[in-house]
Amino acid sequence: MIIWNRILATVDEHESSLQAVHYLASVLGGSDACQVHLLSVWQTPSPDAEPDPAKRAAAAASLQTLLQGRLDQARQILVEAGLPADNVSIELAEAGNHTIAGSIMERQAEGGYGTIVLGRRGVSKTEEFLFGSVSSMVMHRAKDCAVWVIS
Amino acid sequence: MRDAPELRERASELCGRKCGRVRLVEDTSLFMELETGDVLDLQGRRFVVTGTEYEGRFGLSEQPKPWVKRAMDWEDGSAKIIKLVFHEEFYRVVGGFKVRCYRSPEKEARILALVHGDARFMQGDTFRDTAGNAVRVLDRIPGGPVDLQIEQLGRQGHEDYFERHLAGVLRKLCKTFAALGWLHRHGERHGDVRRDHVLTDPASGNWAWIDFDYNYDLMANPFGLDLYGLGNILWFAVACQEVTSHWLSQERPDILERLRPEDFSPALKNRLMNLKKVYPYLPDSLNNVLLHFSAGTQVFYERVEELLAELTPAIDDLPPGEEAP
Repeated sequence: MIIWNRILATVDEHESSLQAVHYLASVLGGSDACQVHLLSVWQTPSPDAEPDPAKRAAAAASLQTLLQGRLDQARQILVEAGLPADNVSIELAEAGNHTIAGSIMERQAEGGYGTIVLGRRGVSKTEEFLFGSVSSMVMHRAKDCAVWVIS
Repeated sequence: MRDAPELRERASELCGRKCGRVRLVEDTSLFMELETGDVLDLQGRRFVVTGTEYEGRFGLSEQPKPWVKRAMDWEDGSAKIIKLVFHEEFYRVVGGFKVRCYRSPEKEARILALVHGDARFMQGDTFRDTAGNAVRVLDRIPGGPVDLQIEQLGRQGHEDYFERHLAGVLRKLCKTFAALGWLHRHGERHGDVRRDHVLTDPASGNWAWIDFDYNYDLMANPFGLDLYGLGNILWFAVACQEVTSHWLSQERPDILERLRPEDFSPALKNRLMNLKKVYPYLPDSLNNVLLHFSAGTQVFYERVEELLAELTPAIDDLPPGEEAP
């Protein structure tokens, strides 16, 4: 069941992703009516790209540390804007066999989030054509929920 | 690697000429040292090297690939292609963007196991040499790349190709594209989708994907570059040639003047995707599929299934034509 006041906000390794959190904070202000779940999805480097398991693990650990820092920053932004700390949760998740967009959609469905909030890095049309874009993929797949793309 | 004169007679027989020195090779790491007549012993199976493969791309001069050997099966004398382990990493510029690419023998070995028995893909087995290298032994496909076949069909001009062959070519391409979708659903990407990586077997009529060892870094859509490649194959199959701004300037300058940037590929900006502007008899349904690969589109295909959902019914709007060979 989709619950309108449950918001799923995503944060990635780019500092610009925090802009979407700032926007969310300014919209929600000190409201205590919404619950915000901050999600960051990471992908393990492929063994094809890095056959050495130790180097792969080190790369994954480094990425997780970076993303955990972003999540902590994002939580702080929302709490400082007046959201009750108990209403802001954070999660660092591994994509596993999913794409990042697929993982976000899976979490949205599981949690019944009524709104997804994403930042957009200003990916050009050509980049989107060749490499895809998480925000575009989420927009195309989203059903029964709102998607805010902040650029 | 040791001299093996006891193997000379059979090696000469398979090579079709008298071999001087014959060596037995159990560790293929130093593939540059391999010579014609050398016998590879891979987990008890033997193959004699008969030459080095070359790769040509779209008419460019052929380059030797010393890590890819022509070979014959020691037991039954069947023709094989043997791909030895060669790690290569490089940046490829696609649409003005640098993409880190690399060869992954393990990826190709994984896909070979996955597609075993599926004629839509090249067939082969992976053997480990004594150094643990994943040596891929492939069945040779006797035919040539699909673009040559398409060019042959178009010798009488585009209108004849459209009337007699396009539907048949697209029916076969849909099966070939569906094979790639199947691969994606199993979590693998081809990595180097281009029209000379689809080979046609004149004996069976099968069109098969070859060469799965390319890979590239993670990206938002892991299959985006494969889809981009499919768009390029489709574009060529519909036009039966490369319709670029250069070609238009030579052949149809009247049309070139009327085109807009949105009519071209966003990645290869000289490649006209809106082919209806050159071939007005193309049905809208087919041209609209091509437009999803143009700079003017609002929505790009993200999955092969999305492409096929529009391409397959578009074939019904074409003259039924003949089956592609």
